[in-house]
Amino acid sequence: MQPTKFQVKLYTSSGDVSLEALIPVFHEWIREKKIADELLIDVADYAHVPQGPGVVLIGHQSDYYLDMANDRPGLLYSRKRGFDGTFEDGLKDAFRRALGASQLLEAEPSLDLSFDTSEVLFRVQDRLSAPNSEATFEAYQGPLTEVANGFFGASASLERVEDAREPFSVRIQTGQSGSVADALARA
Amino acid sequence: MNSWKEQLGSRVPEQLAAEVDLFEGQIELKKEGKLDDKIFAETRLRRGVYGQRYDNGMRDDGTGQKPLEFPRNLTKGPDTVWDAPGMMRIKIPFGKMSADQLEVLSELAEENSDSILHVTTRQDIQLHFIHIEDAPDMMRRLAAVGITTREACGNSVRNVTACEYAGVCSTQAFDVAPYAHACTQYFLGHPDVQDFGRKFKIAFSGCEDKPCGLVTFHDLGAVAQVRDGKRGFRVVVGGGLGAVPVQAKVLAEFCPEEELLPLSQAVARVFARLGEKQSRARARIKFLVQKLGIDEFKRLVAEEREGLREDPRWTDFLSDLHVTDETPVRDPGALPEGGSAGFQDWARHNLRPQAQEGYYTAIIKMPLGDFTSSQGRALAAIARKYTGDAIRCTVEQNLAFRWVSGVDAFAFYEELDALGMAESGAGTIRDMTSCPGTDTCKLGISASRGLTGELRNRLNVIKDDLHPAVESLRIKASGCFNSCGQHHAADIGFTGVSRQVGGRRVPHFNVVLGGQWTENAKSYGLVVGAVPSKNIPKAVDMITKHYLDNREGEESFQAFIARVGKKDFRALLKPIQKPPAYEEDPSYYSDWGDPREYTIGDIGIGECAGEIVPFVEFGLQEAEQQLHDAQDALENGKAQVAATGGFTAMVTAAKALVRHLDVQVKDDAADVVENFKTHLHDTELFHDPFAKGKFATYLLKMHADRSYENADDEIAHRTLDESQLFIEAAHACYQRLTQAAAVAAE
Repeated sequence: MQPTKFQVKLYTSSGDVSLEALIPVFHEWIREKKIADELLIDVADYAHVPQGPGVVLIGHQSDYYLDMANDRPGLLYSRKRGFDGTFEDGLKDAFRRALGASQLLEAEPSLDLSFDTSEVLFRVQDRLSAPNSEATFEAYQGPLTEVANGFFGASASLERVEDAREPFSVRIQTGQSGSVADALARA
Repeated sequence: MNSWKEQLGSRVPEQLAAEVDLFEGQIELKKEGKLDDKIFAETRLRRGVYGQRYDNGMRDDGTGQKPLEFPRNLTKGPDTVWDAPGMMRIKIPFGKMSADQLEVLSELAEENSDSILHVTTRQDIQLHFIHIEDAPDMMRRLAAVGITTREACGNSVRNVTACEYAGVCSTQAFDVAPYAHACTQYFLGHPDVQDFGRKFKIAFSGCEDKPCGLVTFHDLGAVAQVRDGKRGFRVVVGGGLGAVPVQAKVLAEFCPEEELLPLSQAVARVFARLGEKQSRARARIKFLVQKLGIDEFKRLVAEEREGLREDPRWTDFLSDLHVTDETPVRDPGALPEGGSAGFQDWARHNLRPQAQEGYYTAIIKMPLGDFTSSQGRALAAIARKYTGDAIRCTVEQNLAFRWVSGVDAFAFYEELDALGMAESGAGTIRDMTSCPGTDTCKLGISASRGLTGELRNRLNVIKDDLHPAVESLRIKASGCFNSCGQHHAADIGFTGVSRQVGGRRVPHFNVVLGGQWTENAKSYGLVVGAVPSKNIPKAVDMITKHYLDNREGEESFQAFIARVGKKDFRALLKPIQKPPAYEEDPSYYSDWGDPREYTIGDIGIGECAGEIVPFVEFGLQEAEQQLHDAQDALENGKAQVAATGGFTAMVTAAKALVRHLDVQVKDDAADVVENFKTHLHDTELFHDPFAKGKFATYLLKMHADRSYENADDEIAHRTLDESQLFIEAAHACYQRLTQAAAVAAE
């Protein structure tokens, strides 16, 4: 079974993140259909949970978090279902959507957010198809490196988060710190 | 491995595996159009797969109702879209959870939900935003660690709850956990609990005086007793919160332990046989007990018990009452002297000494009942290190870790602190309970979580300045009259309602004061009045200040309320009950944590509605005043006056609505009720979208049986509760009529 539940997190480079200010922005994204090819459903506010998922834009195909895990805020794209295409295309699509949402957030005047592209967290929320093991890492390493290099234009280095209880997770040092727009332009 | 079924293999118990396979088959049949919507809905509900807000495929985005264009034209129940996110309720019997179970729950939350686990007021765990097709594999993974979602929802025996301190409490008669466990096992899938008209909730308590299991608001409650050295239970029946809160009645002053299961089974059989099946609104067992009277109900149960066929399981469990015991992993020891200020504060509120010397139960506060998958995994590791499999979900939406050695308390605290989970204030005014409300619940009227989140933030800022008498109060909020937030039993409770102001809707909360949490929730509060949501923090400030300024000596909040009366508080809150005009402050017209305008966008607002008060609004206001007077009468011991006043208030509200329809009506009750029946009940205009004709029935039934004419305290109390709900429904009906008129005018 080909896994589809990819997550890509881009960390913010600016300091403070106002989750309260984000809530109306995500509601507007639903109203204005800002992500045109996705069904966006609702906004879940978890600002009260320390190191939690922050505020989540719930969609049918994907969710978008302003994730506060480990006190490192970032945009977390989380695909839940339904990608028609190859494994490599699926990876690329997840990165593209994470970058696209980050760019949209950067453009929101009420937020004053910017994102750093020097480090990306990649996860697969599917312990059946992608257990957190060395074998999974070997299977993902090549395609992930290729996708990261394609977006970020440098030589990425990958490191697996080795706690087997965690979902399969890879820290990607992209080797550069260009803008989100630059990364999307390379896609 | 290609599937969880294959991967887990024999780790899933055979019977549970077969049940999940069957459910998966039913999903396929439904997709093929071979199962009826209603049947499939009840099927999934009985497996804990519940609906969620917007699952009818419509959502108001703040400018009006818009369709959510889900990909498939399939349904999973009446008006329930297949692909719409739903909720999974996972039963955790008496809240007991192992580290392995917590880890699997955490995995499921991040793989299938939004990485949040939510502790409910009945010791369940809920995951939201679940797709129904993910449910079977989730069930398999849960079953592999001994958890079932079977009968977590639906018309059957729900999660059996018990005090989180059972077995480690120094005031308990004995440990009720093995009895709750036996009860869970016995009734799970039992044929006698499959034909109820409504759900059935069972709770156990180890003692009378502490809140513990809150048995008085359960369908069936058991309080541990020892008589002449023999174990047994005081069994109560027919309690419930919901729209009309009712205190349970004593079914047996002392039921010997070997009679617990057969007596409960006899109750279940009487309920299944005689309980209401057609009208959901009156189908809980409390209505059956009220209808029959407790003496007749007792007689029927005794008769049923006599006829039961002997079942060895009634007593088999008594041979192993250690089945729920826990084995601490660390030696006992004394609490350390000193420690950081943070630790001292946390230990003061969140650590409770156990009956076993040198051990403590630690309450880990979960803000609004939520924690993350990462935190769940970290907590599982902490449990393995310090306590073993001794975790309990609590009815106050926290987690209890039992068997923390005093020696380890500081290290335990520091590990929690690193996770952001060492918040102090367990069991205080800062430890609020809330149902999901409008965040995810289909029935939510106001944002109960938004409100309690706001109150939490504010109270945490001033926590060091809180007077002890205020700090010890409890706040609970429900998003609607169904009372899942258990607000009736709080010192200060809130229940969501809406009001029409100047042609727009304004979210409000009814303020409920004087409920009693202790003694197993011995008494319920009464509504003081509706306050705009955005003024509730002010209301809390005013109520607590009024209490502190005017209490006599060390007078408790409840004693104070009883002495000064709710009338006093109504006068206090009056200045903040009216929201400003929209043009003056539009923030009142959206709810906490949700910037969308609360009113539905297509309501007409340009017809000077803000300046002209329609007659119907005067009528509804008059009804509220009559109800308030009736509540005062009840407080002053005038039950008869109160009940009559409650009925009169309903008639006044009904008359206002009937006149709003341009129907000529006289002032006498008979004419009002007749016209109300013809024009609002029979036409279903008064019907609530979810409760249907329930609230109209209160008026029709009361008028027919004239119960208010010979009212004791209990009847008067019930009359006032029903009157309150009827008036709320009248407001809602008026709002629907206004919207419909606005739409028709376009």
